[in-house]
This record gives sequence, structure tokens and C-alpha cells, in this order.
Amino acid sequence: MDLARPDRSERLDRLAAEFALGTLPSRPRARLAQAARTEPVVAAAIGEWEQRLAALAIAIPAVTPPPRVWTAIASRLGLAAASTGTASAIWWNRVGVWRALTLLAFAAVLGLGIALLSQRAAVPEASIVAVLAGADGKPALIASARRTDAFLLVKAVSTAPVESGKALELWMLPTGAAPRSLGLIRATGIARVPLPAPTDSSLANIPALAVSLEPATGSPTGLPTGPVLYSGPIERMY
Amino acid sequence: MANSAGADRSGTLAQLLARVALADQRAFAELYRQTSPHLYAVALRILREPASAEEILQEAYVSVWQHAGTYVAAKSQPLTWLTSIVRNRCLDHLRRRELDTFPLTSGADDEPAFDPPADSPAPVDLLVAGAEAQSVRDCVETLDAGPKQAIALAFFHGLSHAELATHMREPLGTIKSWVRRGLERLKRCLDGAGFAR
Repeated sequence: MDLARPDRSERLDRLAAEFALGTLPSRPRARLAQAARTEPVVAAAIGEWEQRLAALAIAIPAVTPPPRVWTAIASRLGLAAASTGTASAIWWNRVGVWRALTLLAFAAVLGLGIALLSQRAAVPEASIVAVLAGADGKPALIASARRTDAFLLVKAVSTAPVESGKALELWMLPTGAAPRSLGLIRATGIARVPLPAPTDSSLANIPALAVSLEPATGSPTGLPTGPVLYSGPIERMY
Repeated sequence: MANSAGADRSGTLAQLLARVALADQRAFAELYRQTSPHLYAVALRILREPASAEEILQEAYVSVWQHAGTYVAAKSQPLTWLTSIVRNRCLDHLRRRELDTFPLTSGADDEPAFDPPADSPAPVDLLVAGAEAQSVRDCVETLDAGPKQAIALAFFHGLSHAELATHMREPLGTIKSWVRRGLERLKRCLDGAGFAR
């Protein structure tokens, strides 16, 4: 049967509809799929129905697939990410993150120099400053310290409200290694975050800081588990 | 369809697909991040088995990586294109399994192969909620109860005519005619409202 013939258009439309809906049995389904590969008219009829029905799928509540799915895809395709796990778990290893951090650095540090300067004035002799920005590029937190201090001052400039049962956790992002927690920080006011050693040495190989959303008691795994809300490079004024 | 957030998202996905066609791995990872929760949900709902849904999702993204170049933005929305790839693979999987499992003589007497998850919205609710545009909602509302439920179960759970007959306890002929009439009516109504081109 030649479904592409004009006088078959009604039958074609009906088959295409049931194909898109999914009710065509196996053999007619396979035949129609085969016809669609060679007959543009058939492919177009199916496409129209897929488009019509697609609006119905929008409301299905999203379900994040397990990380192993991405790992398997990347490994089957021989992608660079294959050895490093999932897209969400390895965000700190992705070049995109660092590119974004660089862009945010320009946006945040250059674009808001005045905020930065006034902040530096408020923390005399601050020699290390990091402006942590959200996805919109607006500074949310400013971290500063003197070289000899063994703590960071983290001031919340404009953080989004944190839902109850959740907390913000601050992370150092070492080059080529997993993030290291600096503990929980407050979403408002100024937090004094202790460091294991004076900033000079404890932040020596740390190009950037990030803040993720975690359970109220902090990440249960020692690595970020929630979304990264803010991040930014560390600027050294020495 | 006209809301600007949706249009922005479509634009972003179309750009990502274009970069994937050029073998941009970062764009592919981003595309996966943005679309896999929706596509996995679609697959889970139809296949009702996480292991099969994961397998189909894998195959679908491998295919997307290899065939992103065939996506033509003018012809469909990116998410529609991706959803269709996943839905079609799920349906192929289900229909193939039927062929393997059921003898050709099997009728509507088989045990129901359908067990709706208790905690998720019923398919008819999804039908109405998913139809964002008022015109789509109106069109769905014009369907009679039987056709509406048959189309919802087929669309969201991948039920075949025979499974619909078993599940809805109606003769196969009634089911077939409900589905056909329901789809015709939906088309007339949607096209009349200027929906989907």
C-alpha cells in the first residue's frame, strides 16, 4: 500500500495519529516507521501528530535519572566525561564551570567594583577577596581575609532565602581535586569561617570558592550534594 | 506555547542541539542536564521499570549525539523532537515485548498488564494539566469520558488497544473506535484553534 498517495491521506493521518499515540501494534508500527524513512509525506504526518500530542507531556513531573545513566552514555560514546562520573556530581571538573567562573569574575569584580571597594574598606587590609555570584551573575556573597588570618569573613550581600531544613555550605575548589568543605554559612549577615591555617597557606592552591545548598546539618557525604548556588574566583591583592 | 520562558528554553535547547551536531561535548552534557529529568519521567511512565527506562534513556541520548544533525529547528520544538525519540523507543520496546510474550491468539482475556502507581497523578489529570494553553485544555475537555481516558492511558502509559480493552473492561472494538474518534476530534479542535502550526 502506498500511503504517500494523495487519496490515502486520510488513512495515513489515522495511522500517524495512532503511531504517535502509541496504540499501533508492533507490525503496522514497524511498517509505518519504515515508510517514514523513505516517504517525507509519511514522516511529516507523524511529525504533525507528535507535535500535537507533545503539549500533553509537559506536565509530567520530572524525575532525575540515576548518575550511572550519564556515565554509561559518556562511556559508550567515548566522551571525555566518561571517567569522571555524572554531570551533576562532577561540576567542579567541567571546563564550563571554570569558564563560567571566569566570566562571573569579570562581571562581578569589574561590574561591581564600587561594592567591592566599599567592602574592602569595611575590612581593612583584606588581601584576599572572593565575590560569589549566582547564575544571574549578581554578587550574592563576598568573602575576604587577610593573608595572616586563619578565618574568612563571609558577608551575605543578596542571597536568595534558604528553605527550611536546608543550609548553605561553603567549599574550597582546589585545582584538580574534589571540593573541600569550609562548613555551613549563614544566608544573612556576616559569618566568620575558620580555616585550618592562615589564608596564605590554606588557600594557596585554591582558585575559587563555591556555595551549595545542603541539608541543615551539612553535606552527608563530605562533597557537595545539592545545587551550586554561588561561586567565584579568589582574588589575591598581593 | 506563546509564553516567553518556553520560547527562551526552546531557543536554548535548539542552540545546544546545534552545538551537539558539531560534536561539542560540553553542549551535550548541558543538553543532558536540562532534558534528562523530563525524558526519564516520560520513559518511566511508559515502561514502568526503572531498569528499562534507564536503558532506553541511554540509547536515546547515544542516538541524539549521533543524529543531532538531523534535527531541523523549523520542523519541531527541540523538546518535542527529543520526547518523540524517547517515546518511540519506549513504544518499540513495549510492542516488541508483546510480540515476544503473547501468542497471536491472545485476546482481551489476559491478565491486566497495567498497574498504575498509586502516588502519581491519574493520566486524565495529567492530560488536562499538561495542556497548558487554554485552547488545548478546551479541546481535551470536548472529549467524552471514554475516549479521553483511553487516549490518556495510551499516551502516558503506552497501553495498546488490547491492554486498554482489558484495563477499561470494554470490547476491543469500542476501544479502537474511542481512540480513533478521540484523536480525530482532538485534531479538528487543535487545528481549529490554530495550535501546532
